[in-house]
Amino acid sequence: MSDFVAQCRREWKRLGVPRPLAEEMASDLASDLDEAAAEGVSAEQLLGNTVSDPRSFAASWAAERGVVRAPGGGGRGRPRALIAFTALAAVVLVVAAVLLATGEPKLSLVQTRTGPSGSSRHVVQAASAAAPVEWILLAVAVAALGFAVWLWSRWGRSRRYAFQ
Amino acid sequence: MDAGPAYGYEMTKRLRDRGLPTVGEGSIYPLLGRLERDGLVETYRAASNGGPPRKYYRPSPAGRVALALGVSEWRAARDAVDAVLASVTIEVAS
Repeated sequence: MSDFVAQCRREWKRLGVPRPLAEEMASDLASDLDEAAAEGVSAEQLLGNTVSDPRSFAASWAAERGVVRAPGGGGRGRPRALIAFTALAAVVLVVAAVLLATGEPKLSLVQTRTGPSGSSRHVVQAASAAAPVEWILLAVAVAALGFAVWLWSRWGRSRRYAFQ
Repeated sequence: MDAGPAYGYEMTKRLRDRGLPTVGEGSIYPLLGRLERDGLVETYRAASNGGPPRKYYRPSPAGRVALALGVSEWRAARDAVDAVLASVTIEVAS
């Protein structure tokens, strides 16, 4: 069974469990397994199905002690993609707000009709119109920031649960 | 644990002796870890019977409160289930 304990040690090291804590858990586990063996209790009886999966066992134990993230809890830091998305949304929001505040340029989407058949197309035109690009940008940025807030709150909740 | 401080394997033995042989299977260590993290148990190291020093667990004051609440809730749930099942008659054809 020392192999089981050794695999647990490796997993704790991989997960970044503080060394004194890993040593303590390994020592307790080894002592229990030795005592069980001396009394004729097999490792399977003591550890059940987890005896075949020391990595999961080790990860679960460390997570319950609150020293590592629960299995499947994601990475340790803030997700980079979420940071980038939030930053991009914030930049777009600021740009849209500045454009609206300064009034330059006055861009808008307008529908034009060309030819006798009445076919139409949308063009960006420097003029004041009903659908200025700045307002569209602002709306998109606000929606994106709202989505980012929701993602951050979900991330925060998953982080809390991981350490419970 | 309420009966006296115990280390991990000792608890599985107590559970086995009380008719719960499978409770300890692999789950006792994460469970103790959670209780410790939540401050529901206190721990200390002491020599076991002729063996190496072991980590003993005993209920903390908060743990005793949680135990009392848990026991009360469990008994209430058990009584409710018993009341429902009391009217159930099972006939087994022979």
